[in-house]
Amino acid sequence: MSSLTVLYDPHCGLCRRVHAWLEEQPKLVPLVLVPVKSEEARNRFPHLDHEPTLNDLTVISDQGAVYFGPKAWLMVLWALCRYREWSYRLASPELLPTTRRVVSLISQHRYQISRGVGWSK
Amino acid sequence: MPVEIITYLVYLAISIALTIWVAHTLHKNGRVFLVDVFHGNEPLADSVNHLLVVGFYLINLGYVSLALKLGYNLASAQEGIEALSVKVGMVLLVLGGMHFFNLFIFSRMRRRATLRNAPPPVVPDAFTAVREA
Repeated sequence: MSSLTVLYDPHCGLCRRVHAWLEEQPKLVPLVLVPVKSEEARNRFPHLDHEPTLNDLTVISDQGAVYFGPKAWLMVLWALCRYREWSYRLASPELLPTTRRVVSLISQHRYQISRGVGWSK
Repeated sequence: MPVEIITYLVYLAISIALTIWVAHTLHKNGRVFLVDVFHGNEPLADSVNHLLVVGFYLINLGYVSLALKLGYNLASAQEGIEALSVKVGMVLLVLGGMHFFNLFIFSRMRRRATLRNAPPPVVPDAFTAVREA
């Protein structure tokens, strides 16, 4: 795997914050950040159903492996030098259900969270 | 020669010999680990190994030297041996602690190196065609 494309929601403040944070992190696998349902996203992945990508984070490897929701978050962590170990920890059978719950919760309420902490604009 | 002097000399001889032995063991057996960590880059592994051993010597000999002073007079050979035993025991504990600390460093370096080539933590949900940009 030589790169991961991250489809993120540019309209959510939290996602933009995470985007900025990701840019600064040292990476083991390069991350390409592409806004969801953009021209670029459709061009890169012509056969992908782009509707669900608006609901949850989507990560696609350069070989076409699609990771959705909590798995996408784990893949993003896996790509980062400092957090690869955490990606395994959070993906372990004991922690995976909690990871899923927390990530879904954050994803569903991302607009409220962004407004709450004042990152909307 | 007073008992104190003999005790000091024996203490120094034992402590230095022990330090050299542990450092030698560490140097000889740590190399394999480091060569693996640095993906077969032997000059780099040897260099790091050497630097670790130098630190090991400095800390241990520093401790040996600081802990030399007895602070009281010895009346008999029995007291000399007892004092020696306490001193050498402390040196052994410090050496043991340092040795495990070194092992910890080796294993952490190795784990980091293995992580670098580790596969993804989860299996993909689906596959899709990718058009090169």
